[in-house]
Amino acid sequence: MSRQRYWIAAGICLSMLLVWLAFFWEPDIGTPTGHPGPGTLRPAGQPMGGDFTLDSPDGKLALQDYRGKVVLLYFGYTFCPDVCPTSLSALGQAFTALTPEELAQVQGVFVSVDPERDTQEVLSVYAPFFHPRIVGATGTPARVAEVARRYGVSYMKQKPVDDRPYTVDHSSFTYLIDREGRLAALLPHGAPVADIVLQIRRLLGDKGKPS
Amino acid sequence: MKFAKPLIITLVLSAIAGSALADSVLSVHAPYVRLMPPGIKTTGSFMLIKNDGDDDRRLVRADSPAARIVELHTHLNENGVMKMRAVPHIEVKSHSQTELKPGSFHVMLIDLTAPLNEGDKVPITLEFDDGSTIELAAPVKKPHAAMPMPHR
Repeated sequence: MSRQRYWIAAGICLSMLLVWLAFFWEPDIGTPTGHPGPGTLRPAGQPMGGDFTLDSPDGKLALQDYRGKVVLLYFGYTFCPDVCPTSLSALGQAFTALTPEELAQVQGVFVSVDPERDTQEVLSVYAPFFHPRIVGATGTPARVAEVARRYGVSYMKQKPVDDRPYTVDHSSFTYLIDREGRLAALLPHGAPVADIVLQIRRLLGDKGKPS
Repeated sequence: MKFAKPLIITLVLSAIAGSALADSVLSVHAPYVRLMPPGIKTTGSFMLIKNDGDDDRRLVRADSPAARIVELHTHLNENGVMKMRAVPHIEVKSHSQTELKPGSFHVMLIDLTAPLNEGDKVPITLEFDDGSTIELAAPVKKPHAAMPMPHR
């Protein structure tokens, strides 16, 4: 009798392990190539980057329109009380540290993954608050999802607690795109301002250096 | 009943001394509220809480007339995905300190009752697990001022 119980228990353990393996085990797929710093991405797909078109307060925003400039791309949402302001402030501070000549060759883009609440009106005030050189953009949920997928961004709307506004879990990397529109580097959340400046100057190359 | 009066006085005095002691072991340094873009109705407050006492303390509640809902929050960074979650308390170990800072613990102010401007002082009451409270007035600061500038 006890032997039978033992086998049942063993069977239950084994099936629980299988369920865990099937649903929860996420093997480390490693650091994406070209990633200069620490931090890995969730397997939402290897970030390929690439061109996209979204809506901004100034009309259509196409990444290809920024050819020749270094673009810093960040995905977030305006109800984000801490993470996004921290990242965008760092970006703003980095921009402030650049020379006017360098700044003219740089563009910040804040992509909202919460188009439901982040209207163009909200974005038009939100993004430039951190630096005039940062523009807000979003699109239909499907299009935002497509852009996010291409950059390996995960985000997940959370169930609101009682009458609180819902929050959105999201990747907090800053994506650096070179003058040719290629995804060149990722900066993890909390990257020091000096590092961001360094990465921008590296991508600007000799042309961006103050004379 | 001769002893009643001195006894009461002693009790009252020790109660006062006790509460004064409880207040002095916990202290809050450099509190601030992050200035958000116009129209944004959620923000965070950050500070350093010091515990010079011999007992571990927990910050169990925060309250402020500046927001409809005030909560204690933290962030979990899971492979670069930042997840903000409410926490029941924030521990401040004895003879130690806990920093409420961006990307980590913070007092979350949800649904601000009025727009905040730079330099405004936001009253916040912190309540600890021993029943003691600390009242503070956290100035509203631009995110820039709240972070150290890089050397140029």
